[in-house]
Amino acid sequence: MSFPALELDLNPDFKVEVHTTQNRGFTPEEVAERCADKIISISDSANPAIQAQAHAFRKHIVKVLEFYMREAIKSDRTTVYNAIKDSGNLELAELIRRL
Amino acid sequence: MAFSGNFMCTSFKKELLYGVHDFDLANGDTFKIALYDNNASFDASTTAYTTSNEVSGTGYTAGGGALTNVDPTSSGTTALTDFQDETFSTATITARGALIYNTTPNTTSLSVTNPTVVVLDFGGDKTSTAGDFTIVFPTADASNAIIRIA
Repeated sequence: MSFPALELDLNPDFKVEVHTTQNRGFTPEEVAERCADKIISISDSANPAIQAQAHAFRKHIVKVLEFYMREAIKSDRTTVYNAIKDSGNLELAELIRRL
Repeated sequence: MAFSGNFMCTSFKKELLYGVHDFDLANGDTFKIALYDNNASFDASTTAYTTSNEVSGTGYTAGGGALTNVDPTSSGTTALTDFQDETFSTATITARGALIYNTTPNTTSLSVTNPTVVVLDFGGDKTSTAGDFTIVFPTADASNAIIRIA
């Protein structure tokens, strides 16, 4: 009796993606797209009606993610503003608040 | 002397059988990703992290960044694990590829230091300038996850 060998290797199509920015950070839209890819993947071979539903759902998810990322950014900026203000750098704090 | 594709290191496969690597999120080992320029020459025979040809620049420290493990799971008859995407923030660096390696291996049965897991080829030089440099791992499923045992 023979047993099938366990396979442990990288898929020939395997690849990591590298996303970079120049003189800025990623926007909420860019991060939301990446996040949505982790949440939902849509097979090319799925039934077209299901594909359409999945694409609509993904689009909705991206919008929700974008909204809450902006909320998080605003809230973090408030925290940063207060930390800088408390350190006595009022001008810098104000610049941060106006971003 | 250049990157020539993605490789799962042969030594890693052997080390799995010795129980060297633990990918658990809460209690597992610390895996890091180090970036390299295209003078680096890695393949399946690469066994350990090296500083040779490692990139340098603002926002990058020698040794690379610590990865966040994802608890191993299974899908159908395939076992798999993954890492969270890794970002080097406010970084000015150019890299052609990377090594993922284990900084805290279990050496009870096998003596290893910073053993490598995989060699990653970015397919070309990737550059960030005073920006973010993010490595995005593929979908963690039975067909695409970075480490799968089928």
